[in-house]
Amino acid sequence: MKTDNDQRVAGRGLRQSMSGLHTWAGLLLGWLLYAMFLTGTVSYFKEELSQWMRPELPRLAQLPDPAVVAQRVADEIGMLAPGTAQWSLRLPDTRNNAVNAFWRTSARGPGQRGFEEARFDPVTGHKVVSRDTLGGEVFYRFHFQFYYMPVVWGRWLAGIAAMFMLVAIVAGVITHKKIFTDFFTFRWGRGQRSWLDAHNALSVFGLPFHIMITYTGLVTLMALYMPWGERAAFKTPAERQQLAAELSAFSQPGKPSGDKLPLASVEEMVRQAQARWGRDNVGRVNANNPGDATARIAVTRGDDARVSMSPQYMEFDGATGKLLAVHDGVGAAAETRGVLYALHLGRFSDVTTRWLYFLVSLMGTAMVGTGLVMWTVKRRAKLADPARPHLGFRLVERLNIASIAGLSIAMTAFLWGNRLLPLTLENRAYAEIDLFFTVWALTLLHALLRPAKAAWVEQLWAAAALLALLPVLNALTTQRPLWHSLATGDWVFAGVDLMCWALAALHGVLALRTARHGVGFGRTTRPRNAEPRSDDRGAAAAAATGEAAR
Amino acid sequence: MMHAVAQALCLIGFAALALATRRPQHEIIGRSLPRGPVSTLRLAGAAALLIALAVLVEGKDWGLGLVAFSGHTTLAAAIVYGALIGYVQAVARRARS
Repeated sequence: MKTDNDQRVAGRGLRQSMSGLHTWAGLLLGWLLYAMFLTGTVSYFKEELSQWMRPELPRLAQLPDPAVVAQRVADEIGMLAPGTAQWSLRLPDTRNNAVNAFWRTSARGPGQRGFEEARFDPVTGHKVVSRDTLGGEVFYRFHFQFYYMPVVWGRWLAGIAAMFMLVAIVAGVITHKKIFTDFFTFRWGRGQRSWLDAHNALSVFGLPFHIMITYTGLVTLMALYMPWGERAAFKTPAERQQLAAELSAFSQPGKPSGDKLPLASVEEMVRQAQARWGRDNVGRVNANNPGDATARIAVTRGDDARVSMSPQYMEFDGATGKLLAVHDGVGAAAETRGVLYALHLGRFSDVTTRWLYFLVSLMGTAMVGTGLVMWTVKRRAKLADPARPHLGFRLVERLNIASIAGLSIAMTAFLWGNRLLPLTLENRAYAEIDLFFTVWALTLLHALLRPAKAAWVEQLWAAAALLALLPVLNALTTQRPLWHSLATGDWVFAGVDLMCWALAALHGVLALRTARHGVGFGRTTRPRNAEPRSDDRGAAAAAATGEAAR
Repeated sequence: MMHAVAQALCLIGFAALALATRRPQHEIIGRSLPRGPVSTLRLAGAAALLIALAVLVEGKDWGLGLVAFSGHTTLAAAIVYGALIGYVQAVARRARS
């Protein structure tokens, strides 16, 4: 029979085991997780960032009627790509000032499909010329598939990192036994204890979000990670096609009949969709075999105010314009996936909810960052000679500097590259990405060569300076400086500029505090025999009962 | 407007819940509150949060309302937390000067 004492020992053992698991699961891929979190956070504004990175595209003061725009661009694509087997266009909305479209071209090689893409002016319907950039897509793609490696490898790596994160979160919750008692606890100027309090607060306040975003991140790529159930359940091509229809409004174009028939009015089809979902809540128009008697048009519902990514679309006969089917819902399993997917992406959000997503996700980034720093803070106190730490400690410390301060520099440098790289540069979009990674690598080199504290301070100041001067660079290199944006109500451009200054201030404060106190270079914890401080009554009580925070 | 009301209610809720815990009581009034007021603060805090949830669900439906509620509660908790840190620092500075 177990005694109370045995149970206490068993409980402590579990908590200590979980503490170790939390520490190492958080650290081993922590640098990758920090980068995934930060780039994912920025991706909540990827459409706005893409607009900022294409300053040639004018602001849409008023959203034109999507039905008219769809017809205009469909006509234009018909002239640009006659005979294409498939095209798709994404209609403009409050966050997109252009029509993004792609269409199939002849195959580039055996087993490969060719695609071409372009942006169109919604007012004229003509193709618009803007600088070659992937815009905010770069951070979005990076956060789940990285670069310079096959996409599938990147997605597996992101999945492994997310799994580590999930383990770290669960282990962290078990470890942190005083979640409610310590909910509002922060012990100022207490070195390691202060870092722990900050880490706990950042983790606990956003805990539902952190669990949701990590789990749903895994769900978005579940078909890659665990394909066996799907393979076992859907064996025939017909079954697989049915599955595809549950997950996406895109379908493979069938064999054309060869009978040429012009497309019926796309405008009229979009009007029917507007009547169903609202004037500005139509997402895409997809066409299979346009110009053929077998043409099919799918008009999809937009993302607004719907916590689900499950496809909803109206299917029309492209030649006659007759409504063939309305896909209003999917099965329970597909809908579950659709809801989880939508929760991760947050595309349904209004402006306020989007900002909430951004801020809470930023707290998640800070949670990972404080966790990484705490690893060094805790171990610095135990070093035999803190001036000459062992290799593992130095490696973690330098990787922390480059992955936290260095990433801020690299991401801002990427935006500087967008404004400064010559517009005629070949493969300019990829040159911007190369610049991002080159600068990031240089920050690692700098962190390796400089003393740790100096490296932190210099990199934080560098990030603050680059961020503070970015609106100035924007004013010098575009026709859309901050004062113009404010005067004309262009909140995308004004928002990016003002956010740069806010982040510059944040990095400046961090640089000042690091210069003054260091990142765990100073005091670690108060000596055990010291008198309780006025701001530390709870900790004193906890220490007396052997219940230090972890 | 709905977001502003929900955020205000969440701030009130977390401020009440913060005052129901021992450390902020000592930091603000210098002593622990008796059980009665602590229970009242806990009830008031929980009620404010529930009303915020009701406001958001009423305005946005369950799906969107729950998502927005999660964001508002996190932000409000962080603001109350930051305010407590700021208050304690300001008191400490005044005591030093």
